[in-house]
Amino acid sequence: MFFSKNKFNFIILVIFISSCSTMNVTQEQVSSGKVKTVKATSSAASEGFINYDSRAVFANATIYFEFDKSNLTSKSIQILKSAVNALDENDSISITLSGHADERGTREYNLALGQRRAETVSDYLVLNGINKSRITVKSYGEEKPAILGQDESSYAKNRRVEIN
Amino acid sequence: MLLIFSNILLSELVLEITQGTEDPYKVAVIPFNGDSSISNTINQIVTNNLKRTGEFKVFNNKKLLSQPQKEVEIIFNDFRILDIDYLILGSISNSDKFNTSVEYQVYDIKKGSKIRTSTVFGIPNKDRQLAHYISDGIYEEITGIKGIASTKILYVIENKNFNLVIADADGKNEQVLLESSEPIISPAWSPDSKKVAYVSFETGMAKVFIQDIATGEREVVIENKFQISAPSWSPDGKFLSITMYQDGNAEIYILNLKNKNLTRLTNHYGIDTESTWSPKGSKIMFTSGRSGTPQLYEINLRRFNARPKRLTFEGNYNAKGSYLPDNQGIIFVHRENTKFQIALKYFDENFVRPLTESQMDESPSISPNGNVIVYAIKDNGMGLLSGVTLSGAKFRLPAKQGAVREPVWSGFLR
Repeated sequence: MFFSKNKFNFIILVIFISSCSTMNVTQEQVSSGKVKTVKATSSAASEGFINYDSRAVFANATIYFEFDKSNLTSKSIQILKSAVNALDENDSISITLSGHADERGTREYNLALGQRRAETVSDYLVLNGINKSRITVKSYGEEKPAILGQDESSYAKNRRVEIN
Repeated sequence: MLLIFSNILLSELVLEITQGTEDPYKVAVIPFNGDSSISNTINQIVTNNLKRTGEFKVFNNKKLLSQPQKEVEIIFNDFRILDIDYLILGSISNSDKFNTSVEYQVYDIKKGSKIRTSTVFGIPNKDRQLAHYISDGIYEEITGIKGIASTKILYVIENKNFNLVIADADGKNEQVLLESSEPIISPAWSPDSKKVAYVSFETGMAKVFIQDIATGEREVVIENKFQISAPSWSPDGKFLSITMYQDGNAEIYILNLKNKNLTRLTNHYGIDTESTWSPKGSKIMFTSGRSGTPQLYEINLRRFNARPKRLTFEGNYNAKGSYLPDNQGIIFVHRENTKFQIALKYFDENFVRPLTESQMDESPSISPNGNVIVYAIKDNGMGLLSGVTLSGAKFRLPAKQGAVREPVWSGFLR
């Protein structure tokens, strides 16, 4: 139920924390980052007495990389921080990290590179307190491009780790 | 979805020769006596096979001064005037409906004498195979090197699905071994050319399978939870080197195929993959990212605790190496500026020789006689197979549909 079949969909978790310690989590699948309004169903909220803190967290996301590189950019780290929060809030979620490479270079080296990228993301999550048993890491190398095309903008979208 | 085949025909590849060598052997091939349809097929295939080597020019028969049908009719001067080096005659006998046999002769025009008589036997409707055997006999007689017309090429075609395919060396006679909705990569022949190993993603992650070509029987080589890829057979067929991701990183292991024991070969935080065995099985070459960029290294298996020795220093991308069959050097994918090319490096030279010049050349595989390299190219985003001979000739095997990639040459099949 937390997992989207379509890899371009994000799952948005909107969390409302009420002052009287009751918590309602509502989820909804939204495509391409368009955030829909999610209605809280807290009985306390309807009474209007509470301060609540709402956050949209990306549990599904894509992290991008430079050519032949597997290090995280500052933008990637921002996305991963949100993922850590989502995983912290929801102990029941397990995730799969699928590493990918662009088509340049040899297929087996790209398979290893995709794995390395996925491992880098996994290492970041584990370092930030996520239990390794919740993470599955695998690579498709250059075999499953997100976009077909022989130009840098296509290649940049294919050098990625998909979290889902 | 997964389909296994042992003998089904699909669309075939077409041959196109783009460039030949400067000083080829000039030969005349007279249409063989006997059944004219078999004769035409054989004449055409032999001509194409000889041309594709890049070392032969086959003379147009219409321009010959005489067309002898048998030895007593040969007027050697008619061929000397045209500067022809060799003449091929032959006759087909298919009186027995279960057998076809072809006898052929090779004549040296300068010497004015016969240098070879051979007979090849085949079953009806296997005329292509007969023609390949004849081509190999002619090639070996004239050059002194074993021919490769009767060998096969293994490759992957992606159209709607992924297909693992074998074909004759001229791209004809395609047979699909496996069809899958998930990627298939890194095909490899067993040394006896009776089995293939490959990586299939059908289980959701990379796993190495071995499949018997004749029966279609297949098995996963190691049952565990790790990704396994990049299979390469030892020359004696007893071991398979593989890349396994047991500790998250690509490391090379040697699998004993009989008792399934695994021996770890590499241990480095950099990527180690694409292992391949030297012709005698004493060394393993592999691609490693340990220097910061992909480079080729080799390990001597006969030395205790041998450290990997770096083989390439030119440029920032050298990967997927193979040894030449005579162990005089290696071929590999080399990046020059933004171009990925197929390159050759001899062990007694300290520079790289580029063999190709398009943008995205990959997966080089050398023929068992060491003369021809088949590789994958991208032409307008389309995957095609190309060949280059060490004597400089180039040819293409264009696909009719789908992206063709990762060609691998079989061993000698007879």
